[in-house]
Amino acid sequence: MKLLSASWVICKRELSSLWVTPLAWVLLTAFLLVQGGVFYSIVLHSAALGAEGEAIGPLQAYFGQQSVLLSMTLLFLCPALSMRTFAEERRTGTIEVLLTAPIHSGSLVLGKYAAVLLTYFFIWTPTLLYAALLRGTGAVDVRVLAVSYLGILLIGSSYLALGTLLSACAKSQLVALLTSVFLQFGLFVLGIGEYVLDDGLLRDTSSYLSLTTLFEETSRGLLDSRRLVLHLSIGAWALYVTTRVVESWRTS
Amino acid sequence: MIEVLHLTRTFGAVVAVSNLSFSVKPGEAVGLLGPNGAGKTTTFRLLTGSLGPSSGEIRIMGRPITGDPLEARRHIGYMPENAPLYPEMTAAEYLYFRAELTGLRGEQRRRASRQAAEEAHAASALGTMIGHLSKGFRQRVALAAALIGRPPVLLLDEPTAGLDPNQVEQVRALVREVAKERAVLLSTHVLSEIEATCQRAIVLSKGKIVLQGNLEELRRPPEGEYVLTVRAARAELEAAVALAVQPGRVDLVSLDEERFELTGHGDPGAMNRLLGTLLERGVHIEEAAPRRAALSEVFQAATRGET
Repeated sequence: MKLLSASWVICKRELSSLWVTPLAWVLLTAFLLVQGGVFYSIVLHSAALGAEGEAIGPLQAYFGQQSVLLSMTLLFLCPALSMRTFAEERRTGTIEVLLTAPIHSGSLVLGKYAAVLLTYFFIWTPTLLYAALLRGTGAVDVRVLAVSYLGILLIGSSYLALGTLLSACAKSQLVALLTSVFLQFGLFVLGIGEYVLDDGLLRDTSSYLSLTTLFEETSRGLLDSRRLVLHLSIGAWALYVTTRVVESWRTS
Repeated sequence: MIEVLHLTRTFGAVVAVSNLSFSVKPGEAVGLLGPNGAGKTTTFRLLTGSLGPSSGEIRIMGRPITGDPLEARRHIGYMPENAPLYPEMTAAEYLYFRAELTGLRGEQRRRASRQAAEEAHAASALGTMIGHLSKGFRQRVALAAALIGRPPVLLLDEPTAGLDPNQVEQVRALVREVAKERAVLLSTHVLSEIEATCQRAIVLSKGKIVLQGNLEELRRPPEGEYVLTVRAARAELEAAVALAVQPGRVDLVSLDEERFELTGHGDPGAMNRLLGTLLERGVHIEEAAPRRAALSEVFQAATRGET
């Protein structure tokens, strides 16, 4: 069976598993409650400042300008989505069914990853309503909106790939969740180094990895191609290593 | 057809299976027996390609599994131990998924799933969530999944584990049925399972094959052991036995008042000599045959020393 065709079979099963069980619905509900609260506070704050006091628009603030709320959300959302991909299959023994099926290890990894990425994207979709609500005020910049969502998708793609890798290395969902949160929180802290380190390689690295800087830029409608390449590379590397891990279960 | 040649698998310094060689032909059900830790599961994982061998070769339908594992897996229907399934799916959804994994699409997928469910007597469960099925039906769904696409090789790992006696009999009947036209390798440590479903058995101990052959051959005792059923008065019978054989070589068990079972052992001609004496003395012989060992005796003898 072709790589993508088999991936789609795995992706469909994974999506149905995510949405038939309460996990995705619980995450969606919690996410929207938190995001609704954040958006409401930002709008109230902007309204209180009035047109003259507005330094930044509510949409820009929501998408991470001068705020770490968006980054914090992602640090929990991505690990929660990716934790079960392989760890749960290993716990229940269903991984054996997949490993003995006539499909490539790459299809298996790609299918599971695509399912969590699609779910991540779907979970963000209702937040488009916030932009629709602000349209009447004229505060919506389409470029800011598009680039902000691109940034969110970019971070999701690399963090979910890292989470998938950690799920393949862990034997339980909880371990996968915790290691993924620690790793991503570690990357977040490293990103803060941009503000505290002296000029040099470490500061540059911190700057490229910085979530807050990335969202600062995307919420202004800008996306540095170096960050794009970095996060796509992290995602591709994590998926490649995950494939090697799965392949090692089959051959070693 | 399954062919295994000098298969060895080590984990560091531990030798899990060593120099295994056997084959299973189409239309044949072979039991893989062994105490816990004998290497049965490792052998199954090697056969399904979910573990690579340290040395040796496995051929499925003539193709080496290490050379083209995907093609080899296409010919294998595998039912893992404990029938791991997705409880949130209906049996039909699960079988469709398994059919799609083998490359079937659309109407082919639906037909193959239905056919496999009917063959495994699981069709009545198709609309039910797997999590709501009884253990017996779950086993049937797992067996149906292994049968999708009519693979010529079936690997069944402990297919009746945890079932009640009625369910055990149903699954055994299914295995006998599906084995008529396939090469079936069945792993178990339940000896009656082998006797009920298989023509041949392979006994593993400490990762090595210690015994293999058809069940009749395996049950054959060391030459010279025999069982006679006779009718005679006890005193007359004891006198005849004392004349024909050395003391202690025959056990005499009363079946009813004048009917006895004699179990003896000795040199290869011992049974004939005793028969001659008994016939001369007018003892009525109902049955005389070399003793057939119970499979459990054979198994215990072959795996003695293992815990």
